[in-house]
Amino acid sequence: MIKLSRISKSFGRNEVLKGIDLTVEKGEVVAILGPSGSGKTTLLRCINYLEKPSDGEISIAEFTVNCRKPAKKDIHTLRQKTAMVFQQYNLFRHKTALENVMEGLVVVKKLTKEEARKLSAELLEKVGLGTKLDAYPSQLSGGQQQRVGIARALALNPEVILFDEPTSALDPELVGEVLAVIRKIAKEGITMIIVTHEMGFAQDVANHVVFMDGGVIVEEGSPKVIFQSPKEERTKQFLARITPESAYSI
Amino acid sequence: MGAQFDITAVFEYFVKLLPFIKISLLIVAGSIVVGLGVGFLVALPRLYRIPVLQRISQVYASFFRGTPILIQLFLFYYGLPELLKTVHIDVSRVPVLYFVILTYGLHSAAYISEGIRAAVTTVDRGQIEAGYAVGMTGFQAFTRIVFPQALAVAIPILGNLIIATLKDTSLAFTLGVMELTAKSQSLGQLSRHFIESYIALAAIYFILSFLLEKVFFALERRLLRHESRSETAERVSLGKKWLKRRLETKVAWTKGGTGI
Ligand SMILES: Nc1ncnc2c1ncn2[C@@H]1O[C@H](COP(=O)(O)OP(=O)(O)O)[C@@H](O)[C@H]1O
Ligand SMILES: [Mg+2]
Repeated sequence: MIKLSRISKSFGRNEVLKGIDLTVEKGEVVAILGPSGSGKTTLLRCINYLEKPSDGEISIAEFTVNCRKPAKKDIHTLRQKTAMVFQQYNLFRHKTALENVMEGLVVVKKLTKEEARKLSAELLEKVGLGTKLDAYPSQLSGGQQQRVGIARALALNPEVILFDEPTSALDPELVGEVLAVIRKIAKEGITMIIVTHEMGFAQDVANHVVFMDGGVIVEEGSPKVIFQSPKEERTKQFLARITPESAYSI
Repeated sequence: MGAQFDITAVFEYFVKLLPFIKISLLIVAGSIVVGLGVGFLVALPRLYRIPVLQRISQVYASFFRGTPILIQLFLFYYGLPELLKTVHIDVSRVPVLYFVILTYGLHSAAYISEGIRAAVTTVDRGQIEAGYAVGMTGFQAFTRIVFPQALAVAIPILGNLIIATLKDTSLAFTLGVMELTAKSQSLGQLSRHFIESYIALAAIYFILSFLLEKVFFALERRLLRHESRSETAERVSLGKKWLKRRLETKVAWTKGGTGI
């Protein structure tokens, strides 16, 4: 279980997160929606401490970090319990697909090269890249790179995988293959928090939808409630603006 | 002026000059070692934006890049002992070669610090964050992610610098160091075959530079093998990239040779 309490974050005088409380059950898939600039990326980055929250508490599987006085060791532990899939993939450019997935296993988890290689090859197989083990990122399409990114996250066997708009940098024809992979791993009961603008995808993959605006959670609930009968005016407006054109693209 | 042109003298001098390659290469190697050490120290304040030290680094780089190496040699060889005398350190017995290596080293450091800065900043922040996200420490992210990629960018810059320094070592003769150029002059003086001795000298510099260039090109290709788009396009695209990069590097980092 993941519990965020009163997470706040300011950049200078700009208060980007204004005390976020969020609980995510084990195995839950949470979709975070919201207009651009509402603080979605910042919230995800606070969870693995790529961004240092100004205040609040992060608790992942019984392990709690007080953001006012975190020890360096605690941040490191927190990062080992989480994994992240980035909007721009952020693969290690000098390493092959296989080496990208192996890296964390060898360097952080201290597996032997052999064990790491075997596990990584299996995971790449799973995301449909069994034939691209030795390809460098520069030789892969955006969709393939993002799938390597997902395999890299899966390899760490984290408590939660954080996805920050995993398909928004992709050409439209490549979005489907990445969503399909995420859908597949969602079924395996891995806890995931996904920031996305793919409303159709959020609607049928998530079991918990969060709508953020202006650094606060405006409304949250099951996809059915949020998409079909939102209570808050801001949620209604956002959905009205985003859904009519097409459920699968923005 | 000299005696009749004699092609066999070129070959004779060429062979006679060979042993002196050692001294020139020693100056190059020594100054690159000094340059790497000092260059790294000079680059740090600018990479980490340390307020006052950052300014000092900039001034350092501007000074060594903006004044002729010959003047720097004179300043260090004649000026430094005077300066040290005021604090009662006597360096009059220190061999000239040390001053030469020190000067070329500090000179190279200016270029190396710029190169390090360029190399490190080419690795995007996102990859470092991905390293943190998989649980790496800052040190692991640097050594495993930043350094190998920075090296690939730094190698051609270093290659250009080494070749430039090799040519610059020809100025060490002005302080009386018996390296290639000095030896070639004395050979010419003895026999009056000046032209022949200079042709042999030019040939040696050319061959050395050519070999160095080949070595660095091979190294760079190896380090950049991950940036090729596909097997077939590899040759062309790498070659083009290299050319383009060389031009950029030339503009940004190389000095055009000695320029007395
Ligand atoms: N590193 C940063 N420095 C300063 N301001 C930032 C930084 N990152 C984000 N912000 C600001 O925080 C706000 C929220 O950004 P972000 O979390 O990226 O929103 P979203 O992902 O919902 O689009 C924006 O106003 C943005 O300008
Ligand atoms: Mg964002």
